[in-house]
Amino acid sequence: MAGNGLVSQAASVSLPAAAERSAVAAGSPLVLKTAAGIVLLALWEGVVRAAAPAYVARPSGIVTVFFQVITDAQFLAAAGATLLAVGEGLLVSLVAGTLTGFVMGRVPAVEQALRYYVNSLFATPMVAILPLVTLWFGYSAEARLATVVFASFFSIAINACDGARSVPPEYLEVARSFRARPLPTLLHIVFPSSLPYLFAGVRLAAGRALIGAVVAEFFVSIPGLGYYILFNSRTFRHNEAFVAVILLVAAGVGFDASVNRLARRYLPWARRT
Amino acid sequence: MRTAAALSRNAIVVLSLALGAVLWELAGHLTSGAFWAPLSATLKSLLEAAGSGVLLRQGASSLELYLAGLLVAIAIGAPLGLLLARVAWLRVALEDYIMVLYATPMVALVPFILSIMGFGFGPKVLVVVLFAVFPVLYNTIEGARSIRPELVEVAQAFRSSEWQLWRDVIIPYTLPYTLTGIRQAIARGLVGMVVAEFFLSPSGLGQMIMMGSQNFDTAGMLAAIFIIVLLGVALMDFGRYLERRFAAWRGTGS
Repeated sequence: MAGNGLVSQAASVSLPAAAERSAVAAGSPLVLKTAAGIVLLALWEGVVRAAAPAYVARPSGIVTVFFQVITDAQFLAAAGATLLAVGEGLLVSLVAGTLTGFVMGRVPAVEQALRYYVNSLFATPMVAILPLVTLWFGYSAEARLATVVFASFFSIAINACDGARSVPPEYLEVARSFRARPLPTLLHIVFPSSLPYLFAGVRLAAGRALIGAVVAEFFVSIPGLGYYILFNSRTFRHNEAFVAVILLVAAGVGFDASVNRLARRYLPWARRT
Repeated sequence: MRTAAALSRNAIVVLSLALGAVLWELAGHLTSGAFWAPLSATLKSLLEAAGSGVLLRQGASSLELYLAGLLVAIAIGAPLGLLLARVAWLRVALEDYIMVLYATPMVALVPFILSIMGFGFGPKVLVVVLFAVFPVLYNTIEGARSIRPELVEVAQAFRSSEWQLWRDVIIPYTLPYTLTGIRQAIARGLVGMVVAEFFLSPSGLGQMIMMGSQNFDTAGMLAAIFIIVLLGVALMDFGRYLERRFAAWRGTGS
């Protein structure tokens, strides 16, 4: 403790700003963050105990039901259904959106023809089309899948299009002078050089896909995490319902972090903020 | 040469929009009325809603909810973000939690709000606020982190007062980021608006969509969805304009 203080004091003589930053970077923030977390949880617990009805979710209540809920077969089935639908829909969007975006990015006529449709559907809150989706697919799991695809497709297509357009023209000229065919050009030049954009698109799409799945479950009432939340909060089991929220957040943050790690591991040259 | 290129570009856009309109019309005639309505019927329904004042009333109700939520979100998110910009230890303590909340699908909290707070205007505004506040807060903090400590040190070396420091360094540096956050909030808030109108008490454009779907009035439903699409496009363009307007001094290094 004393040694630590001495070091930081010695450093502060020569480089005050750097020392301040390294002190913040070296372990004390963890204490600070943990303390803040405890304060926030205590605040939540206190406010709910003092001012809210007994059924409202609070940390102590969530902790007591947590293990019971995450080992409950019904909950696990719901989580599996939702996450599977999100994964499936994202995969469909990734393939279809990347292809659409690449064609748009490389063929100006296609881009001009589709631009208004893609941009306006990207700007549309996907919740608004839910009643239409249920007309087409009925109150079924397909309606959820369609919502997930609709929610995620356009952000991937737009990013793939931007990525395909950002390919340095010299690369394409070299490819042309070596008489590369369109498919190898796409696979070996356009695709790798748009990867940073695709990663950004997938991150954006994943968040929207998760929201799409939950909203579709609210609306269509099919088993899944969203419906689990709806059902349990209606029957005033808020603590149980909140465990599902925690799982959703963990899935979102976890996916985001792993995409980030992949990008940093395999695309170290791309530093897009 | 240039005009010819511009002409051909516009020709493609006009052609594709015309083709879309024709497909919309044909799809309405070829499928059963419960699945899709022709463009002509949709426009007729839109004109009827506009003529009877329903569209104006419901649109105004939606906008009231949306603007109330968005303004509250900005009024909370921007000052709190700026505070965290200045008070470094508070930012270090809270930024991870704010990032998690930024990534949380807020729609999952709607059933809790419904169950605890009921159907009034207040809970609906709360839904819009929850959707919109974290992008503003998160991006403002990102901006705060981008302030180069040298600038603050120089300002302090020249004995800037606290107020001058805010006016000349902190606010100009974080404002472009805050506007990126506001652009995101503009889009997310619209989702929140529709969610609130669907799942709390039905009102506004969301209610128009719901009523169309419940009465098998597909044209009416498409008309309301069409308005929301236009609203989404207009708001997104406005958000981009705002961001670009203030991004001029954002600097290329960030």
